[in-house]
Amino acid sequence: MKHFGKTLTFISLAVLLLLISAGSASGKILFNDTLLEGDGFQINNYVIDVAEVFSEHGAATIYVFEGESATPTHDKFVSVGSSFKFTVEGEDVEVTLISIHSGIALRAKLLITVTDGSFINSKTLGEVKGGHKNAVFPKTPVLEITKTVDADSIMVGDVINVKVSVTNSGDGDAEKVLFSDPTSAKFVLQQTLISPSGQTVIKKGETRLIYAYSLKATEPGTFVLNPTTAIYSNSIGDDLPQASSNTPTIIVEDSSKKANLDVTLVVDKYTVDRRGNLQGTIRIKNIGESSASAVTVNLAVPTGLKYSGGDSAIEIISGVPTIYLESFGVQQEKEISFNLKAMDEGTYTLSTQNSYRFSDGINPTSQVASSTSVTNAIYVKKGKYDHLLEQPVYVYLAPLLVIGAVAGWLFYRHRQYKF
Amino acid sequence: MLNILIIGNGQCGNRILDAINRDAFGTKSRFAKYLAHQKYKSNVQTIAINTAVNDLKEMSFTKAKDRIHTPHLHGVGANRNVGKHVFEDNKTLIMKNIQERGNFDVAFVITSASGGTGSSFTPMLIKELKQKCNYPIYAIVVLPFREEGTLYLQNAAFCLKDLRESGTDGIILADNQFLKQMGGNVESAYNGINDMIARRLLFLLDALDSEMMMVTDLGDFKTVMSGGAGIATIGFYEADSEMPIRAVIKKALSPEGLLFSTDAYQEASRSMIIIRGDRKYMSIDEVSSEVEKLSSSVGQVFKGIIVRNDELPQVLTVLTLESAVELEKLYAIAVEAINYEKKKKERVDSMKELDKAFSQIDGMDPSY
Ligand SMILES: Nc1nc2c(ncn2[C@@H]2O[C@H](COP(=O)(O)OP(=O)(O)O)[C@@H](O)[C@H]2O)c(=O)[nH]1
Ligand SMILES: [Mg+2]
Repeated sequence: MKHFGKTLTFISLAVLLLLISAGSASGKILFNDTLLEGDGFQINNYVIDVAEVFSEHGAATIYVFEGESATPTHDKFVSVGSSFKFTVEGEDVEVTLISIHSGIALRAKLLITVTDGSFINSKTLGEVKGGHKNAVFPKTPVLEITKTVDADSIMVGDVINVKVSVTNSGDGDAEKVLFSDPTSAKFVLQQTLISPSGQTVIKKGETRLIYAYSLKATEPGTFVLNPTTAIYSNSIGDDLPQASSNTPTIIVEDSSKKANLDVTLVVDKYTVDRRGNLQGTIRIKNIGESSASAVTVNLAVPTGLKYSGGDSAIEIISGVPTIYLESFGVQQEKEISFNLKAMDEGTYTLSTQNSYRFSDGINPTSQVASSTSVTNAIYVKKGKYDHLLEQPVYVYLAPLLVIGAVAGWLFYRHRQYKF
Repeated sequence: MLNILIIGNGQCGNRILDAINRDAFGTKSRFAKYLAHQKYKSNVQTIAINTAVNDLKEMSFTKAKDRIHTPHLHGVGANRNVGKHVFEDNKTLIMKNIQERGNFDVAFVITSASGGTGSSFTPMLIKELKQKCNYPIYAIVVLPFREEGTLYLQNAAFCLKDLRESGTDGIILADNQFLKQMGGNVESAYNGINDMIARRLLFLLDALDSEMMMVTDLGDFKTVMSGGAGIATIGFYEADSEMPIRAVIKKALSPEGLLFSTDAYQEASRSMIIIRGDRKYMSIDEVSSEVEKLSSSVGQVFKGIIVRNDELPQVLTVLTLESAVELEKLYAIAVEAINYEKKKKERVDSMKELDKAFSQIDGMDPSY
């Protein structure tokens, strides 16, 4: 503070020197008129009061008040032609007593200048009848909005009660307060108990419940409620920054009971020679909470592999190996095997298309679920004797006969010449 | 088609027989027996006989059934007397094997003169065959390298003598010493010599069973072989590029083509010339002038021409000899060798006398 004071002094001094050197006061003229004794001139939070006019002395007592404080910061006895300065928000305000006018009411003519008036709020600039005690100072209301929910972890279909309250923690009333509370999607508004109607005023220090309503969760997930916002002004109509509430997070869990069929599809080997056989297994397990019905598993066999039979549970329906199970209880398990024959070289995957129905306990109609299961890649390699089998019989028989004959001949000759 | 019997006795005879059987396949490949058939025109039967089983095992182109082992531990060494005993012991076995093969038009028996088995078996075998069969039998006899030692020279001399007395229809000589020119180590020299003998014999067999322009046949061959002192040899030359037929005939009669050192124009008594090749080489004039040149100094010359398309000219000559300077030389050194061996034996015997002297003190102890 001390330091600050020094700086101020220094600045004042510098300005003074500047003014002296300039030969006259400079800056913006805020006021150049007469004020009745007892009246004042307000510059934002400051009020310059003409406290007493001494016409016989050609002087006046001028007070400068800051804010609502009743003790003036400056108490000046100024003679006509004299002036004094004080600082408002870093700018110098110079008050010069130009003249004194006597009559029914005593008046003083003041010239008030400021080095730079850009900080001045026009709403708080001008004459104040009755002076400081009648001046209105700008106040800053601060609205704090709080949104509360009675539960933050619920089930789909559950209802939560939301309350939004506001507190004005500022030093002034909040006027023209307008709340807005967009309902979060994923929730349906059930009932509104309290809601603000139009603009309202929240007095300084006031706490008020502004909303009370209930919401119904429609789907599972983790959701963040939208904030409640408020726009408002202070008493002099200045717009203040929008206030926003907190945003509670609600976890909505699935309440429906589903059937969940886990269908896995495996084969006994993933590398097979052409013409080789594969054994496949389809494992179905209901890991859900509701039993399934009309379970259908269609086995999609790629060209290159051939379905060559399987358990009796598999029926061929229009060429597609199909498993149909009328009902499949919770935690029930079933294993169904089938055989495949590798027909052509290549890389294949085997898959099943699974579908089933179940009742979820919420919806009146049954739900349909479907899934697919896919195996890892199955490699069909060229068979050991494939190149032979690919040929018509004589193509491999002939060389074999030739080899046989040659071997026979060699053996015969060897024996013939072996002594 | 002629029925021909070829017998190889002893190591040398076996190996030459094997070379004949190999060349008959028409390819030099080691795998010839698997790849080809023997291209004998005639019905050729081959028999290898040996006391040494290893020599028989070494053969690869002669069928197992054609190899006869006359067991005698480690062969007979170079002792012809032992050989004769072994033959005597196995005579029935050998004769049975041969006679089972039926009758033949001609037979050749191949042997070295200087070894043990072949040189002792061959005269006895021929003698035996001659008594039972009536086809001509010729001995093909390989003479040793002169440096092979006195024992071999001695054997050669006695073998040839025995052969002449065996009733053979002729002795065809091949002289290792003379053919040494083949060069290389002993093994490759042997192979080269065997090959030469094999090719000549095969050519002869082929010719005897071929259609010839000027007639020569087995009868003519017999006639030639019966001439002279019963000693013959064969010459052969095959042009390796285009060559006038005259030059080829000359070569076949030169040391380059002959199996035994002889001056055909001086020593031959009868001869046969067989010319084979493409028609374009067969200039009758040339052939006639060359044959005339030979017949002016040799009595009888039989000639035959075999036309084979695309073949370079080849000439085979069979010469029977009136005299053989080389053979005389061989006998000269052989006599020396025989004397040397005799003396050595005497020396050894006198050593035995010395043994007697020593044995006088057997069982005695010196007393002091
Ligand atoms: N040309 C030729 N001469 C051989 C061959 N093998 C051995 N000889 C010769 O034959 C003589 C030895 O006779 P060999 O046939 O081995 O004795 P055998 O087996 O007891 O009859 C020696 O003079 C060798 O040089 C051969 O394969 N070719
Ligand atoms: Mg030997």
